[in-house]
Amino acid sequence: MKSYHDIAGDGGSRIAEQVEAGREKIARALSGVRHRVAIGSGKGGVGKSTLTRALASALTARGLTVAILDADLNGPTQARMSGLAGAVPVPGPEGLALPRSSDGVRVFSIGEMVPESQALEFASVAAGDAHTWRATKEFAVLGELLGSIAWGRLDVLLFDLPPGAERTAQFVDFLGAETTLVLVTIPSDVSRGVVARSAAAVSKSPCRVAGYVQNMSGYLCPDCGEVKPLFPESDGVPLDLPLLGRVPFDPALASACDRGEPFASRPIAEVADRLVAFLETPR
Amino acid sequence: MKFLCVPCDKPMTMMSVSPPDRGSLSVVYGCPDCGYEMAMLTNAHETQMVSSLGVKVGSPKAVEAGASKCPFSAMIAPKAEETANGVRWTAEASARMDSVPEFVRPMARSGIEKFAEESGYREIDLKVLDEARARFGM
Repeated sequence: MKSYHDIAGDGGSRIAEQVEAGREKIARALSGVRHRVAIGSGKGGVGKSTLTRALASALTARGLTVAILDADLNGPTQARMSGLAGAVPVPGPEGLALPRSSDGVRVFSIGEMVPESQALEFASVAAGDAHTWRATKEFAVLGELLGSIAWGRLDVLLFDLPPGAERTAQFVDFLGAETTLVLVTIPSDVSRGVVARSAAAVSKSPCRVAGYVQNMSGYLCPDCGEVKPLFPESDGVPLDLPLLGRVPFDPALASACDRGEPFASRPIAEVADRLVAFLETPR
Repeated sequence: MKFLCVPCDKPMTMMSVSPPDRGSLSVVYGCPDCGYEMAMLTNAHETQMVSSLGVKVGSPKAVEAGASKCPFSAMIAPKAEETANGVRWTAEASARMDSVPEFVRPMARSGIEKFAEESGYREIDLKVLDEARARFGM
């Protein structure tokens, strides 16, 4: 009796063919993108999205063309932080065109279209069992987006990843070997531990890890301008990764994000410098 | 997934795909040699798993016939060519929306209709789409 591999084709379902066609469409759409950079952590609440937005501004200030894909479909924040809530993507002759923030960063975020008072829902014939299919659906949606958006010529496409060590590894796997990962932590051992776990989870991936950013690394006092400790400094959890920079907690940055205004600071500019240097290093 | 006619030792070919009925997909296969036909009937979980891949089961003809549902349909009411507010879409503008991923389309349409209303347009054509792109900094 014949086995599966004795039979050519896929039995008429065309599923494998469609999956391959989807991959080719993504490759075509991203062909003008020089660098794909995923900003992840594993740990939630460490400032991945804020740092992504601030890095986009810092890279744009260097004359680079930058776009952001908010891959956190369930907790999108880039629309608000970019001042683009309600600015929907509009189809043009070349594909889906993205709204542009005041500092010139093109942004796709579900938050542009779904008000913050609503949760993201997918209609399903298997209602009540979303845990079995939801992650697959979300990656299919991201794939369709990547292939449909007119990215054009871009120096850097930033991906703002959702939290979760395993999710970080899944996204890096999904985005492909051309992707560079930047991990974000805060100084606490709890956070560093999760980030170490994320680094371990992606260690078998062919993607490059540029290093990590220590966010909320002290508190920038608006009165005296000094950086004061916010967390107890600890080297209890070693991170065997290059440190791209320490970014102090800055109320002005938090406020700018809430208002959807660009923000620049020296610590973030230094992170951007080191990231660019890493990206320009041959693989 | 492939099906084999065991008596003939021949791969069966897909004959037809019926649209999902209460979450179940009916796919009919036949043996090209003996003509025996069988149907694969999926449960809702199996249907949803395949649907979640963003693919449509079957031949290109079957795929065109069986358009999948928008996963956001629970959130946004379906739109006709003329909206509740009386804004119309020209065929060209509507066709351009086909390039928008299916799950984003209803939301993008709503946003563009809102822009048209606010701008005093009663009809959305390619020129209005271009204006919307300019308005949103594209």
